[in-house]
Amino acid sequence: MDVRVDDLSVPGPRGRVLAGAKALSVPAGGSLGLAGPSGAGKSTLLFALAGLLPQARGKVLWDGTDLIGLGARARRRMAAQNFGFVFQDFLLFDELGAAANAAAHAMFAPRAQRAAIRTEAAQRLGALGLHEADTRRPAASFSGGERQRIAVARALATRPGVLFADEPTASLDRAAADALINDLTATARAQGITLICVSHDPALLDRMDRVLHMRDGHLAETADA
Amino acid sequence: MPELWDSLPAATQDWLWLAALVAPALVMAAVLLRGFAPAPLVRAMLWRFRWTNLCCIALIAVSIGMGAGVITQERALRDGSARAADRFDMVITAPGSDVTMMLATVYLEITDAPLLNGTLFNEVANHPQVALAAPLAYGDSHMGAPVIGTTEGFVRHLAEGQIEGRMWQDPFEAIVGAAIDLKIGDSFVPAHGLGDAAQEGLHGDRIAVVGRMAPTGSPWDRAILVPAESVWLTHGLADGHAEPGQLGPPFDAEFFPGTPAIVVIPRSLASAYLLRQEFTRDRETMAFFPGAVLGNLHRLMGDVRQAMSVLTLVCQALVAAAVMLSLFILSRLFARQVAVLRALGAPGRFVVAVVWAYAMVLLVAGTLTGLVIGQGAAQLLSAVLSSRTELALNARIGWPELHLAAGFVTLGGALALLPALAALRRPIAEALRGG
Repeated sequence: MDVRVDDLSVPGPRGRVLAGAKALSVPAGGSLGLAGPSGAGKSTLLFALAGLLPQARGKVLWDGTDLIGLGARARRRMAAQNFGFVFQDFLLFDELGAAANAAAHAMFAPRAQRAAIRTEAAQRLGALGLHEADTRRPAASFSGGERQRIAVARALATRPGVLFADEPTASLDRAAADALINDLTATARAQGITLICVSHDPALLDRMDRVLHMRDGHLAETADA
Repeated sequence: MPELWDSLPAATQDWLWLAALVAPALVMAAVLLRGFAPAPLVRAMLWRFRWTNLCCIALIAVSIGMGAGVITQERALRDGSARAADRFDMVITAPGSDVTMMLATVYLEITDAPLLNGTLFNEVANHPQVALAAPLAYGDSHMGAPVIGTTEGFVRHLAEGQIEGRMWQDPFEAIVGAAIDLKIGDSFVPAHGLGDAAQEGLHGDRIAVVGRMAPTGSPWDRAILVPAESVWLTHGLADGHAEPGQLGPPFDAEFFPGTPAIVVIPRSLASAYLLRQEFTRDRETMAFFPGAVLGNLHRLMGDVRQAMSVLTLVCQALVAAAVMLSLFILSRLFARQVAVLRALGAPGRFVVAVVWAYAMVLLVAGTLTGLVIGQGAAQLLSAVLSSRTELALNARIGWPELHLAAGFVTLGGALALLPALAALRRPIAEALRGG
């Protein structure tokens, strides 16, 4: 999916703008890195692009459909069908097995789609190096790198058009981070998934097609890869 | 409509009540859970907060158990005491407290009372509306069991004819209640007086046990029945007859030492009211129906029960509030996971369904455990009371307790929507950041 942003802003308290972008676009299957100091508004912009901030203003056009102009239900449906998320601290359901976590969408997806989601989740886990025998173990029993791979499998289980990753390598050691970067970028490229990453990790940002730097809520500079 | 309802069998009415009380919870479940499979997440929440969940379940169980136990026990006591009074259609005593005399005659909580003379006894016994009249003469005991002097007719009436061994043929033979620790063929010397005041060695006559009554489920199971003549002779009085060697009615008024109470079995219901009217005489006699006196007591108990029911409901409301408060806190601790679900595109109804189903598991588990606790507590209490009174108490969870439990679950289910909806209102982005 491609995205085009037009005069996006996320208002905060006392008229402050938490994050904003005058104009921005990412082609379908492309990748965008958002960099900048802590508190610069990177994650806020990411959430706004994903339609998670109802107070956001402006236009975020995904394949021409304005996400911000949609009602809450339509926005949710668009997210469920097209977006995948990976978070810094994984945000898995620790008590559930790896397979159940990766297939989390199946709990609320229409009955007809559940088997397909579970199959896709299992395949993703396998592709990311998690053996089937291990996938019943609670998520809490895996290492950080493995848990982030479970989170990636969850994000990809619905075959999304866009993958949002918020500091995906921040909780991992270097080796695990490098492995994840390879998996993430290779999968996105192979499947034509648009990848939008917030990160401080130069190794990840180097693999993005384009990196935008943010400061005080605004895009400060652009560096195309 | 009320006529239609009244025409339904009691069991059908109870089932319909239960269905009506459970129906709202089932409707909520159907509306919220339809099309979703939230069980893994609910299990995850149950496991994550397992100790808090156990505390919530215990809190609910104790509250429901207390309510169910109190109602069950009260009903068992009411039914048991009413069954015990069944065999005592009417009692005639000297004027006084009908409650005291009912407790003395039906429940053998024996108390001193003025004696009725032989003329009055014969007037009652020979009345055309009387099927059976028997004196109850008491004052002695053996090993804590009261020794009651009466007639063969009353023993047969009390035991419904089920007597092991044989009926007495001598003033110093006895029929024992089912709970008395004496075998047929044993003998004993009664002590003078009852309870702690009983004095051994004052009486010399030995009484032989010749029969045993089948259990009656009343305090009479721990009584020793002897001919009235036995009690009178033991105390050095006349034996009620002009000629020696006679046993049982008719009694000679001149040789009748007196009896504190006469049990009367009227020929019919109409006879009963006629006799009560006839033998209720100012400063002479008091005739009463133990069942009616008991009914008044039950009405009083009913008021107490209502007060206790209100207290139970207040207790349950407080417990429900405490559980809801903890659900608010727990759902807040689960806020990041809820936010992830919503970021993944889970509908709001799914989030509400997860929190609501989790709350319902606690409510239903606590309620079922509470019913088991209530049943156990009522049975334990009944066993203690039965051993002390010999009243046959059948403490079983019944429809009122099931209705109470169903109402609690449904009300709790409705209240559980509040934390569930609150979970939905938290901003997603803020919750994802752990705010």
